[in-house]
Amino acid sequence: MNTADVPHRSSADSLAARQAELVAALVAGGPPPPGFAPAPLAAARAALLRKRAGEVARYWPLLAAGLGPNWPATFLDWATDRPTLGGLRDGWELARVLRARHALPALGADELAVREAAFRYDGHQPPRRRRLPAVGRAGTAVALQLAGRVRLLRPAR
Amino acid sequence: MTGPHGVGIGWRPEIAGFVAELPGLRFVEVIAETVPTGGPPPEALVELRQRGVTVVPHGVRLSLGGAEPVESDRVAHLAAVAELLAAPLVSEHIAFVRAGGMEAGHLLPLPRSRAAVDAVCANVARAQAELPVPIALEPIAALFDWPDDELDEAAFLSEILARTDALLLLDIANVHANARNRGTDPLALLDRLPLDRVAYLHVAGGAEHGGFYHDTHTDPVPAPVLELLTELCARHRPPAVLLERDGHYPPAADLRIELDAVATAAGFPPVT
Repeated sequence: MNTADVPHRSSADSLAARQAELVAALVAGGPPPPGFAPAPLAAARAALLRKRAGEVARYWPLLAAGLGPNWPATFLDWATDRPTLGGLRDGWELARVLRARHALPALGADELAVREAAFRYDGHQPPRRRRLPAVGRAGTAVALQLAGRVRLLRPAR
Repeated sequence: MTGPHGVGIGWRPEIAGFVAELPGLRFVEVIAETVPTGGPPPEALVELRQRGVTVVPHGVRLSLGGAEPVESDRVAHLAAVAELLAAPLVSEHIAFVRAGGMEAGHLLPLPRSRAAVDAVCANVARAQAELPVPIALEPIAALFDWPDDELDEAAFLSEILARTDALLLLDIANVHANARNRGTDPLALLDRLPLDRVAYLHVAGGAEHGGFYHDTHTDPVPAPVLELLTELCARHRPPAVLLERDGHYPPAADLRIELDAVATAAGFPPVT
């Protein structure tokens, strides 16, 4: 690919389309845009995923700690074709997926139960703090939220 | 309010205690998006301001290089943070971070094309119209280049600076990273940049990984980056240099040694 394929005259529209293609390739499993050298693009994609794993681990430290040495691979496997929704929601989605697979570690279950008790999260809108008392469950972990204060009643084992 | 001066460090909540105890410190940066504007700024930043430390809001999510117009809410937030902290300037990147409704989660390189120069300059002008203080633009570290490139890096950056009247925030670690990954000469780039436009420098750590140099901000500053800093300051020493660290924080003693090494390499007095 050379510059003749990307004419300057269509500037703004063409740039917008090219940028969208590139982001999709880097974070959403889209095809590599024509003309880019594959190895550097793959390195960038991997670097973005590593950075994202670090951000999710900051929001979900117990989930990451519970998975231990499997954390990076577990996260990368889940995240590869999913654009980020931010560290809080990414970790939430992953924790729920692992729960459904019975693969959520105990520490992660505790963390998820506490979050579910404190926030309402429907998977579409950003999580919102619950105003009414609520119980959060994940595996055998149970958390109770009353007047905004959350207690882990029963940790997972 | 004075501009950045001497050796600074990127203020992060994790190292707030360390930063507060640096006796000679006169300048920090804060990630603009992390500062709430509804109430007072974080107490630690207020205390630094009371000590006369300059706080520069550093934006990471404006997406000035996006093809679409920069979001006015984001510019308004950056402007509000600048007011809140009485900052003499703000900084952002020559990069884009979202496109087609999707967040990349990191700074992505632009094609060095005339269309991209137009897009950046239009967005910088939009931002400048709303900002209370000057903006400094930072060229990023890129792991890949676009096939659409029409200009080399020096021509691309010089054109943007000439057309926007913005200041330059030159990241010496990014210069190293790009030269290393492209196989180009970093000194050749320094020789062609308008160094008198540099408001301050960034320096950060990185690591070799998979055949590429990664600008991680979580590793120590490698010797070649410090040497490049010395080379740059021998040509034209900017008023300030700031160390960025964004994770895997070392013990305080190691971070002090690193700040001292930066000061020595740049020819500034130590702040530790």
